[in-house]
Amino acid sequence: MASRKSGRPSKSLWSQTGPTPRLLFGAFAIAAIGLLGLTPKTLFGLSIAWPYAALWGAVGWGRVGLSLRPMVLLIIFGLIQDISFNAPLGCFVIVNLVVYGFSAWIASMFDVMHEPLVAVIAPILQFISGFLVLWLMASALEDHAVRATPLVAAFLTTGVIYAIAQKVFDLGRAPGQPVGQAT
Amino acid sequence: MARLSRSGQKPGKRSAKRLILFVFIFSAAALVVAQSAPQIRHVFDPVRTAAGDQLGGSDSIGLWARISGQATRERRIRDLESEVRELSRYKAAAISMAERLEAYENILNLMGEPPVRGVTARVTAESDGPFAQTLLANAGRAQGVDPGAIALNEGGLVGRVIQLGEYSSRILLITDFNSRIPVMGEVSGVRAILFGGRDGLGSLTDLPERSGFIEGERILTSAEGGAFPRGLVVGEARRLGGDWRVRFGMANRSGGYVQMVPPPLIETPAPVADIPASDVPDGPAQASAAQGVRQ
Repeated sequence: MASRKSGRPSKSLWSQTGPTPRLLFGAFAIAAIGLLGLTPKTLFGLSIAWPYAALWGAVGWGRVGLSLRPMVLLIIFGLIQDISFNAPLGCFVIVNLVVYGFSAWIASMFDVMHEPLVAVIAPILQFISGFLVLWLMASALEDHAVRATPLVAAFLTTGVIYAIAQKVFDLGRAPGQPVGQAT
Repeated sequence: MARLSRSGQKPGKRSAKRLILFVFIFSAAALVVAQSAPQIRHVFDPVRTAAGDQLGGSDSIGLWARISGQATRERRIRDLESEVRELSRYKAAAISMAERLEAYENILNLMGEPPVRGVTARVTAESDGPFAQTLLANAGRAQGVDPGAIALNEGGLVGRVIQLGEYSSRILLITDFNSRIPVMGEVSGVRAILFGGRDGLGSLTDLPERSGFIEGERILTSAEGGAFPRGLVVGEARRLGGDWRVRFGMANRSGGYVQMVPPPLIETPAPVADIPASDVPDGPAQASAAQGVRQ
């Protein structure tokens, strides 16, 4: 028990993992949850509100600032969502990138890692912005105000699961950035 | 020395990435706007159908399912479900035929509808997002599904095929706001146009002003417009808040399968000039519309 003797707590495997493996793991989680979401989802006859998994990546990955690799992944996830939701190509790409940009902007303005209030409020605002952009785009493209209730339910599920599993989408530092620069 | 941001990036690098993000967002927006033109939207159809084939076409049995005997049990369940579906189809057909018989009695020389043979497919994906409410079924052109085919389940009408791939079909549900189904009351005979409501019930428009439906009566397709055959069960009429609504039959019996039957084929009448002179019957030079029906 060298670490106990020296008085320093042992680091977990996740904390020692670099941003690229974390990004890949997060992308795998999003792809797995997204693919499961394509199947009919009912529990005891009740339909389940499935989360928009790509938004976890948009919110979580944006916390360390802008980077090209998360953007590319979010574009790919967005195009897959467009096809699976039968939306015009590009809709979910816009939603994902807007939320990602918003998350990065908040991260550049406030200390989202250490300020508890900001750390709680920022993701809520980002999910709300995602919901608004999606609802506005869907309503504009479908020529009528689309139903908000299933959308709200899906976004609530997205938010609740993100609150539990946000560590999975925390890159620690931006991919490609050397150790020591990140906060 | 360049000042680092909270995220530890240099301002120059940050502004370049910001520019890339804006370029991506604007490119996506341009793509969305470009698809408002049907010609451009159709360019992406092969991509969608190919993706649909990949999502909906796989029907392989896993190794664990073979070892545990789950595959056998599932096959047995599928057989029984198929039998139930077949029987439900006969039940729906009986209702439809009774209604049709009445019409036959009223109208002489009514053109009968040929019996239809459908393709039964498993629902492999469903999208309940803010855009069109659709299902993806694992049968397509290769299995004999026609464009615009009618999808049914044990509860009644499910929707219509709007996108057809080689091994998959995307079905626009009747619960969608954009679907328009000409319907009629089974008992009252009142006709209306049905579309999906916001609360999961169907809304009715173009109702006659004086007559209304009967509470709880079955709502059937009226075949007006020629997109759907006559007499398919859609749901039940319900009076809610002064408006007539429809509780969808398909919602109660969603067993994960749909049967896709070909759409009714109505041949375009040939122009008068193309009809040979020998086909024109001898008789009065001008015949009324009523004479045309009741010859």
